Amino acid sequence: MLLTVRDLHKTYKSGTHALKGVSLDVKEGEFLVVIGLSGSGKSTLLRCINRLVEPTSGTISFLNQDIAHLKGDQLRKAKRQIGMVFQQFNLVKRRSVLANVINGRLGSLRTLESIFRSYSDGVLADANKCLETVGITDYANVRADTLSGGQQQRVAIARSLMQNPRLLLADEPVASLDPATSNSVMQYFEKINKELGTTVICSLHFLSLVRRYASRAIALKAGEIVYEGSPDDIDQTWFKRIYGEEAEEVEIV
Amino acid sequence: MNEISAMGSDRAVPVAAGEKAGRRIKYIKATFLDIFLAFYSILVVQRAIYDRFILDLRDLPFSWTETGAIFILSCVIGAWWTYTRTSLSCRLFGIAKNNNVAEWTVEIFGWFLFDITFIAGWITTKISIVSLFSGEGVQGAARLFGALFTPQFGILNDALFAMIETIYIALIATLLSIPPALILSFFTARNLMKENKFTYAIYYILRIILNFVRSIEALIWAIIFSVWVGIGPFAGMLALLVHTIASNARLYSEAIESIDQGPVEAISATGANRIQIVWHAIVPQIVLPFLSYTIYWWDINVRMATIIGLVGGGGIGNLLMQYQGLARWREVGLIVIMIAFVVWVMDYVSGRIREAIY
Repeated sequence: MLLTVRDLHKTYKSGTHALKGVSLDVKEGEFLVVIGLSGSGKSTLLRCINRLVEPTSGTISFLNQDIAHLKGDQLRKAKRQIGMVFQQFNLVKRRSVLANVINGRLGSLRTLESIFRSYSDGVLADANKCLETVGITDYANVRADTLSGGQQQRVAIARSLMQNPRLLLADEPVASLDPATSNSVMQYFEKINKELGTTVICSLHFLSLVRRYASRAIALKAGEIVYEGSPDDIDQTWFKRIYGEEAEEVEIV
Repeated sequence: MNEISAMGSDRAVPVAAGEKAGRRIKYIKATFLDIFLAFYSILVVQRAIYDRFILDLRDLPFSWTETGAIFILSCVIGAWWTYTRTSLSCRLFGIAKNNNVAEWTVEIFGWFLFDITFIAGWITTKISIVSLFSGEGVQGAARLFGALFTPQFGILNDALFAMIETIYIALIATLLSIPPALILSFFTARNLMKENKFTYAIYYILRIILNFVRSIEALIWAIIFSVWVGIGPFAGMLALLVHTIASNARLYSEAIESIDQGPVEAISATGANRIQIVWHAIVPQIVLPFLSYTIYWWDINVRMATIIGLVGGGGIGNLLMQYQGLARWREVGLIVIMIAFVVWVMDYVSGRIREAIY
């Protein structure tokens, strides 16, 4: 088992109980999709896994190491093996595409080396390879914020690939993109999952995308897992249970 | 939803108690404010309007007994006023009664306060239309303006040198302020320092010190430094430096506080350490705002340097002071025109540079 989450709780300072005892197993090579309404705890779950959010209680065992209780250097070492892609891409806008991709390697570089940007040829070659994987080699030296949304998200994917991650987290990676671009970005996740064998945990809103890309799906509602299984088994009944009675499914190409 | 119902049932008692305590605090605040307002009104009416204007006294007599009596009187009025819940402060703190008396009190007393403040201000400022338009005065002003607009170019050399000195004073003060302001800004940026109590304490103390330093005008610093290192450009530069560090550290730290947290999150997710996060996620976002603020402060410093010269900070201000003392208005005219020109150019150039940066 690559990742085992047991009885994970998160209560924010504001008092919001975002996760209420989530338990979850993720096998190596899976494409797991998390669905649920906004505020159901999807983001919190993903951010707890790489400790951008501090879990209140519970264990997160990643490669047989409890990362919920790691600190300092060991935590950073664990983080290196978990890539993350965000809804808002989170690129450094004024820096070049290549510089943004290299940022993904920071965890493995020495501090001084990274401050003076004296990157070895190996790092540069890796960065170019990652850009090749997402098909953006032509734009390596342009400023990141001159790219379109879909291209920026691909750069963000390349940045996470620089970590050589065992696990790739994606927090609503296509929620700010148009339908056609969403599909093309999702195809890169599929490619990474199939060709590189990287395990992917991704939160999504559109069920059509879930059915197309997920090998397994879980649904969160008010901080609890209410569905776990094949994405194809989410029928109308389940849909209404997850999203509420008034929800209606919308299609995306 | 859950939380609201929980508050309604389990915590019903403490909430009500908290509300009661909150009301009591409001009463206390309202009482103090009413006492202050009563004290202020009586004092202004008695001293500024009655003594100074109606009796036309030159030197206002001051006695502790009188002031004390007024204070005690206002205590009684204020306390009674709050007690009846019809006062202005009661309205401000939202505990006033909902009746006509309260409404009229607020309206009448509010206008009364504004009126006596305005009248007292008018009297204190000694506004006099007569002296503004007296024949002799107007003639003097005309003579002066005439001299200012026929500048004496004989001192062009001296004035140019003094002007250059002023620009350099401002430039050096701005440049030297960058490193300390930069370092301070990271320690006074809330988003970087709020993580634990120790760093938050440092943040808080530094903020207080910087606010204090900034609240002292560069002019005062110039007086202090002209005693410390002697009159001259060095004192002026130091004065500007201190003021610029405090002001720029504030602007820089605000730039840090308003950065996009996304890249910070993304880069910390890659396992980068704190220094790397600051260098690769924060610094690229703040370089241009920093540059812009620094140019802006050079512009301001040129202006301030001319003023600082008046109190012994060197440069063109110093020269202006000398010729003004000799009542050589045509020379003063040249200097004033020169200052206006340089300030305009600096303003324009710094504006254009800052525009180009963004």
